[in-house]
Amino acid sequence: MSQLKYHLTLIMRNPRAFIAGLIMPALFLALETSHKQHPSAAQIDQVVAGLVVFGLLNLAYLTYATGIVVAREDGVLRRWYASPLPRWQYFAARVVAAALLADAAALILLLVGASMAGLHLTVAGTGSLLLAVTIGAIALAAVGTAVTPLLPPGQGMYSLLAITYLPLLIFSGGFGQNSDLPHWLTTLMTYLPIQPIVSGASTALRHPGFLPGRDLLVLAAWAVAALVLSVRYFRWDPTRPAHARRAP
Amino acid sequence: MSAPIEVNGLVKRFGSFTAVNGVSFEVAGGQVTALLGPNGAGKTTTIEILEGFQSPTAGTVRVLGANPRKGGSAWRARIGLVLQTTSLDAQLTVAEAVGLYGTLYKRPLGTGEVLDAIEMTDDASTRIGALSGGQKRRVDLGIAIVGRPDMLFLDEPTTGLDPEVRRRMWQIIEGLTDAGTTVLLTTHYMDEAQHLASRVVVLADGQVAADATPAELRAMGGPPVIRFRPPAGGPELPPALKDRTLSGTDDLISLVAWARDHRVDLTGLEVSPPSLEDAYLALTGRTDVSA
Repeated sequence: MSQLKYHLTLIMRNPRAFIAGLIMPALFLALETSHKQHPSAAQIDQVVAGLVVFGLLNLAYLTYATGIVVAREDGVLRRWYASPLPRWQYFAARVVAAALLADAAALILLLVGASMAGLHLTVAGTGSLLLAVTIGAIALAAVGTAVTPLLPPGQGMYSLLAITYLPLLIFSGGFGQNSDLPHWLTTLMTYLPIQPIVSGASTALRHPGFLPGRDLLVLAAWAVAALVLSVRYFRWDPTRPAHARRAP
Repeated sequence: MSAPIEVNGLVKRFGSFTAVNGVSFEVAGGQVTALLGPNGAGKTTTIEILEGFQSPTAGTVRVLGANPRKGGSAWRARIGLVLQTTSLDAQLTVAEAVGLYGTLYKRPLGTGEVLDAIEMTDDASTRIGALSGGQKRRVDLGIAIVGRPDMLFLDEPTTGLDPEVRRRMWQIIEGLTDAGTTVLLTTHYMDEAQHLASRVVVLADGQVAADATPAELRAMGGPPVIRFRPPAGGPELPPALKDRTLSGTDDLISLVAWARDHRVDLTGLEVSPPSLEDAYLALTGRTDVSA
């Protein structure tokens, strides 16, 4: 529990996470609904689901992965590595913290959607969406862990991560369905981790109590693959400057 | 009973570069052993192997009876570390950080007790990101001792700190060894090694250049060193005595003869055994301690 509290504290005290995970999706939702005349229920579901996933990506992927890189470069990971804490517990607490905050952000966005955009909210639909967000958070955090060895220290990592998820979110319908995309691209998206979360979230709102099994399988496959890569390649040590690599 | 640290024939290579080349030493319990050496001598590599961060290429190391790479959670609970650079979460307060690490141990010191020891009680609620370098270093030490470690690794714990803070850190370290903690210290400060260490291991070019008590090490530094203040505006020293460290009987005779011939008072003349720094420089072949 102390680890969970620790990771929740770190995220809550990170203004970037708060703005990117909660404020920006809510702002986009307000903007999106303000210029649409009488949107259909399906359109509202799609917009809310897409923005829930946008917030989820910011919390469980961008903030999560950059948080690990910052901790690595500051020597904090090294200290945890040498502590009696079982190493899996560090990651478990970090993932659970990201998932809890992503759930909280999703819940707030649903309430904003219901009050501002006329989103029809049910208990079953909310539960299904939160389940989709939780599963998505676990898969994204696993992928986020796996990519950290590739991330350079400093501001460059934010741009690098943004490049990896923003186009995928757009092509996956996170900012509205795009019917002009080539078939091969839409098919490809269904095998990458973001489209299944968008699909799961919008299905949860459209058909409360139901989550598409194929999407869950794709996410599970990504989580397992990322876990295997993390076990093999994860780095606890800070990046050494080039001149120090030869003679540490 | 075996020593807390046993290093035998330790070799570490990075590609074609050999950082540590056949190092052997032991560290006795309940005292401070200083590991000295210029940059690139292999001391950080050696200490990282002892801490379990790296594997040796050859040789064996045992810390508290275990191979550090295979030491489990129970072994790690007996080890405290102050890494070479500060390693703290800037968003946590001092009390939160110390309390958090305390939850990992069976018999931790109380947070208040640790804050008292590192003299940070008044800053308990301050976020670590807002602390000065010296305060952060003290928090590092606080986290290292919160689990009552049997073995404490201090990798340049006082580098960059002002003399007052260094003295406070020394007092804390002395308190720990009085309570039975074994300390392995690396430092560039010879006065620190002189003050704290019961034994000094000097590394040079990846090998042990000396392994002795500070007094023995000083004796290895060669003949007595001659120090004096040349008179202002007086006659110049002869070339044979200028711009070098004077030591030994011949230099002393030449100096006294020169002073007698020129009717110069040798104000502050001292003939003393070489300092630890003199001995260290003689052993490592350097002209500057930090080089």
